Amino acid sequence: MWRLNKVRHKAGRPGGSLEELRLKRRENERALRQARRDRQLVSKRLLLNEDEEQLDVSMDTAPGGHDIVSLLHKLQHSGTDKEAHLKALSKVLRDPSAQLTFIKHENSMHLLVGLLTGSNAQCRLQAVRCLHELSHSSHTNVAPACLPATPYLLTYLSGPSTKFTELCLYTLGNMCPDSDVVREKLLAQGIIPALASCIENQRHNLAVVEAAAFTLSQLLQARDAPEKIIPMVLKSTLPSHLLSVLTPDPQFGLAPAIECAWCLHYLICSTEDNKELLAQGALSQCSSLLVSLGGAVTEGNKEDGLELLIWPLLRCVGNLLSSCPVEDLNAHLSDAHLPASLCALVQAYLHTLPALARETVWVLNNLTAHSTEFCSALLTLNLVPGLIQLLPFSQGINTMILRILANIAHKKKEFCVKLMQLSLLSALCATLKMADQEMVIRSLDILFMMTVSSPVVAEEFVRQGGLSLLEVLQYNGAAEMRQRSTYLLEKHLLSYQQHITVDNMPDP
Amino acid sequence: MLQPEVVQLRTEGRDEQQERRLSESEEGNNPFSFTPQIIRLHKDHELFEDGDIHRHMYLQDLYISEAEDKPALSVSEFACHISGCSAVFSALEEYEHHYNALHRHVCCSCRRSLPSARLLDIHIQEWHDSLFTILAQKQDMYQCLVEGCGQKFRTSKHRKDHLIRIHKYPPDFRFDKTKKERGRETKRKEQKDAAMEMVDDVCESEGVCEVMCNSPSDEPEGGESMETHEILYKLNMCKVLTTVHVYYTVLFSLRIPNTVCFGHGSVRGFGGRRGRRK
Repeated sequence: MWRLNKVRHKAGRPGGSLEELRLKRRENERALRQARRDRQLVSKRLLLNEDEEQLDVSMDTAPGGHDIVSLLHKLQHSGTDKEAHLKALSKVLRDPSAQLTFIKHENSMHLLVGLLTGSNAQCRLQAVRCLHELSHSSHTNVAPACLPATPYLLTYLSGPSTKFTELCLYTLGNMCPDSDVVREKLLAQGIIPALASCIENQRHNLAVVEAAAFTLSQLLQARDAPEKIIPMVLKSTLPSHLLSVLTPDPQFGLAPAIECAWCLHYLICSTEDNKELLAQGALSQCSSLLVSLGGAVTEGNKEDGLELLIWPLLRCVGNLLSSCPVEDLNAHLSDAHLPASLCALVQAYLHTLPALARETVWVLNNLTAHSTEFCSALLTLNLVPGLIQLLPFSQGINTMILRILANIAHKKKEFCVKLMQLSLLSALCATLKMADQEMVIRSLDILFMMTVSSPVVAEEFVRQGGLSLLEVLQYNGAAEMRQRSTYLLEKHLLSYQQHITVDNMPDP
Repeated sequence: MLQPEVVQLRTEGRDEQQERRLSESEEGNNPFSFTPQIIRLHKDHELFEDGDIHRHMYLQDLYISEAEDKPALSVSEFACHISGCSAVFSALEEYEHHYNALHRHVCCSCRRSLPSARLLDIHIQEWHDSLFTILAQKQDMYQCLVEGCGQKFRTSKHRKDHLIRIHKYPPDFRFDKTKKERGRETKRKEQKDAAMEMVDDVCESEGVCEVMCNSPSDEPEGGESMETHEILYKLNMCKVLTTVHVYYTVLFSLRIPNTVCFGHGSVRGFGGRRGRRK
């Protein structure tokens, strides 16, 4: 089970200073970003022993070579004390070079599998611990070497021992990303039904559920997942189980829900048409959960790691909306608080996690794109002023906000007038001056819709000195800006010129 | 940056607004094409990058609560959209200041930028108005530059002396150059390309500076003032603008330079005289 508060202990580590930790973190982050760009973003989890507080990388790693060989020898020949040797072996196998030595050694895996399936329960536990250490290796040829063990690991998933099952699961989960061969074998050996029945039977045991969902998430991230894995998963009972675990248990914490939410995200974003998941209530559940999380965040109840759950939920809702016909929206989104919760999430995370705020705003776009009701809700719930205040923020936030406002303006004349009453026009007078071309073009689009909607709006824009802004744009280099501003001026706004006299000319 | 993958256009029943817009777009030359779109994002979309990294940092036990890690939130910059001006600003006030200083009161003949409508008016009158030149031979036409003073002088030198003596102006006040000095500077810059560089100069200096031009309009304003019908013709040619100065100039005085150019200045286009836009 992952405890987030583990991380706080790291800050007070005797071995490393806070600065070292930050450096390490930054390095890792850079490596992860590069890996993602290469479409090779992979992570493995290491379940620590009971006596280990945290992963101490600076620990004295035993020299690999000799120890492995001698331990293996001892295991083969000594009758008693196998458990102690296995325990020692598992410690040694934390060292990467030891791992390589192990797999190169003839018969080593055979020996280990024998102990894994033997009659001694303690040996079995230590054997799986050894396999777990091996699975955590960053060398991609270690996992295939563990393949002989997998049929047994899968069988053990329905066993009663929590610790044991957890280790099996995380071992399998670590092995998944390493090669196509491994995944093919695992699929053939029935990993998906095994995971499904594991979650179903151990529903009460959230540590196991978390481990199973993690393993599933590893499978679902594979490059060939959309063709080979996801259809199988969708046909199984896994989606409904995942949905049932979504609501976090207050005692146990967020971890299982986090894993399930990420699984759902991988399922949804890899599938064009999600009508099955919609039918199972995915949209209504994810959105309800977002609403309650949004409520918690607004109340200042920002638990550490809440965003780890919010993030995949946002993506699920965002992508599910593209599969949901607008007529059915109400059936799925009975909770009318979703728009307000989304806006609350944006405000809450804007400064600390701008990327999360950006994805939230993306969801709002999808919500308002074709739904007059949700556009109306943004107006009646007085959420628009908050959105307008976000217009200074770049990197995808303000362009998406303008999309949302454009969605609203596009629906009804009355909405345009209401937007004008909320001072959108003066905000547009500022965004028209931005360097970002997309912002200017989108602003012109909104301006057009609003101007066409009502002479009141056109007059107000002229009164605010907007004409000179458009004139400047008429001679700008970009054709899209020139065409739009010229069209707007010629067709719609110049007729308002006569109303302007020298006296009431404002300073732009 | 964001490529919409799914475009679903569904109408929930058209209302007047959409009807009107539709009929407009059928006219053919309507450049507005916004339609609401649901955006579907696949697993590897760049928008998802930060969230994925956050998730994997957690998996690798490198999670840090948000309180400890504060990424920077970016704010959009502003840019002067006048063609040829490449100035960029981090705050709206800076933009406004730049615009008002450099693009608001620009003389279209010589592209000189003046700090106020009044000084622009005086400039046009004294430099580009042949009527003024004629009248100045017989009466005191050179106004004191200080608002409210009201005094007029026979020559610009007299005015300059007055400014220095009475109003304590510096002898090299930038907005009181005579044409002769201008001529000297013109020669210096003759080599450069006319429009673009001048505008760049204006903008880069971040302050009002003299901008010289070697366009044909610099020839001495010896001709007659324009005929009325010429003025009207040029008025019709131009877009109607909104600065107070323009209205003042057009409606209440005949001080229109040879090439009419309304308003903000640097690159009102009337043909190939100016440099090519980017």
